Amino acid sequence: MIEIATEPWETMVRHAELTYPNECCGAMLGRLNGGSKLVKEAIPMENAYAGEQAARYELRPEDLLEADHQARARGLDLIGIFHSHPDCDAYFSTTDLKNSCPWYSFVVLSIQNGKFNHANSFLPDVDQTAAEREELKWPKF
Amino acid sequence: MAKILIPTALRQFTEQSDSVDVTGATVREALDQLTVRYPNIKKNLFNDQGKLRSFVNVYVNDEDIRYLDKDGTKLTGSETISIVPSVAGGATAVADTAPALSNEEVARYSRHLILPEVGMEGQTKLKRASVVMIGAGGLGAPLGLYLAAAGVGRIGIVDFDVVDASNLQRQVIHGTSDIGRKKLDSAGDRMRDINPNIRVDKFDAGLTSENALEILRDYDIVVDGTDNFATRYLVNDACAILKKPNVYGSIFRFEGQASVLTYQDGPCYRCLYPEPPPPGLVPSCAEGGVLGILPGIIGVIQATEAAKIILGIGTPLKGRLLLYDALEMRFRELKLRRNPECPVCGDHPTITKLIDYQEFCGMPPMNAEPAPTGDAIDAIELKRKLDRGDNFVLIDVREPHEYQIARIPGARLIPLGELPKHLRELDLNGEYVMQCKSGARSQRAVDLLKQNGFKNVVNMTGGILAWSDKVDPSVPKY
Repeated sequence: MIEIATEPWETMVRHAELTYPNECCGAMLGRLNGGSKLVKEAIPMENAYAGEQAARYELRPEDLLEADHQARARGLDLIGIFHSHPDCDAYFSTTDLKNSCPWYSFVVLSIQNGKFNHANSFLPDVDQTAAEREELKWPKF
Repeated sequence: MAKILIPTALRQFTEQSDSVDVTGATVREALDQLTVRYPNIKKNLFNDQGKLRSFVNVYVNDEDIRYLDKDGTKLTGSETISIVPSVAGGATAVADTAPALSNEEVARYSRHLILPEVGMEGQTKLKRASVVMIGAGGLGAPLGLYLAAAGVGRIGIVDFDVVDASNLQRQVIHGTSDIGRKKLDSAGDRMRDINPNIRVDKFDAGLTSENALEILRDYDIVVDGTDNFATRYLVNDACAILKKPNVYGSIFRFEGQASVLTYQDGPCYRCLYPEPPPPGLVPSCAEGGVLGILPGIIGVIQATEAAKIILGIGTPLKGRLLLYDALEMRFRELKLRRNPECPVCGDHPTITKLIDYQEFCGMPPMNAEPAPTGDAIDAIELKRKLDRGDNFVLIDVREPHEYQIARIPGARLIPLGELPKHLRELDLNGEYVMQCKSGARSQRAVDLLKQNGFKNVVNMTGGILAWSDKVDPSVPKY
């Protein structure tokens, strides 16, 4: 299970809505607590994909390295990656799977007509052949 | 001693340590030490072949080892080694995502699949690829047939024309029953019949400076099968701007050319021909004729080059112009170099957006006022003049072999090329009507006579084709 606190959740939704109609991306910092994860901070990042960004994203490894440094400095862990699917459901696409990494939770936010609609979290396997759904909790207003 | 920082998710394998000290002269040795000490971490970093997994990036201090010496990067012992994942993705449309081949496709592509150079990987590349063909005519016919059969997943066709009887001698994608249909529909049906697994995108338009970038942007490869210079320069410039490979082919009578342009660092059409020829100098297939089999060879060469680019095999026809002569049955090759001064693909391009290609090729703009009609008569007016027995001479400026196909009774044959030496036989004060197949060559004949002092010369608009349409349907159209 992964739970996202109010402040990082608002950061993620705002970043996704502002980047619409393109895909946004970023990292999530937090703590592992036994089997569950708590996200305490979200870091919006620039989509570094070189082509059309309406249906593609790419994170710069340098940005992830920097996020990892920040997490360590604050006593947190880099525990997840988030990105958005504009006008599209929050599923884990083949493109997502083939470019994933099994070490993190992957939270996908569905943005419909520029507004947040729903979200899901996934845990990809090491061979990039399948992703398991992970229970996701976000603050409801 | 160098230090490896362990990402959170991997700490379960390192007894929760967030960093591990290692010795070792290279990155590879340091990582080996880590996996020897904590064997369970190995599967997360290396695949079954012992190679770093595709999502693993290794940084020494702040440098990616891909840009140093890869895993042979030397360590002195004071470095911090970070393991950073590469992450990407996207909500790509379902149809575009890694398509597995169905059993039907495996059977269909069997002869490709057993070629090691193609195989499942190559066939999947073909299925994922997109190619747009400009024109569904002579070159487009073999191209469309073979690209569809080979399994290119998405094929765009740009064409606004309708199938005419005179197309069937060479445009083998269309049949007799297609006469009068849009070439887009006729070609699309035939391609989908050959291979129902492909998608055909139809653009019912001529390619223009306004729509070219929008249409071509969506495809991996552009194949130019156009028959005129304005569109050829337009396709070239659009491909140079979009940085897309342009598989070029052209045909004339018994000769053809092919090359791969604007591909990687290779040259473009303007590096070969900076300027178009003056209008009228190079006749089109409709004016000059073409051996029907010729576009078969050139179009298939274009299809081969497109497939090679998709598969990434062999040596592309880049930087080379292939010349084919059907009568001598001979291929020759010229070396082409990118011109650093080229206005579109050079080091300092001056053309960075599309221009007016009609004007560039010296042709009147599409919406220009028609030429004044005072110096022209049409087929019906000509018939009246003949019936009245007016005192004038009708001169047919076509070639003798055209004259054998069809003629207007009473016309005197003087081919345009021979007209200058016959001027002395004509009467400066006589009345002349010039006629050809469609009215273009005869207009040049009118101009020639006027420049030589003839006052009373007019052009017959529409040529013998209009004569057949409006006066005598028994005269065959060719």
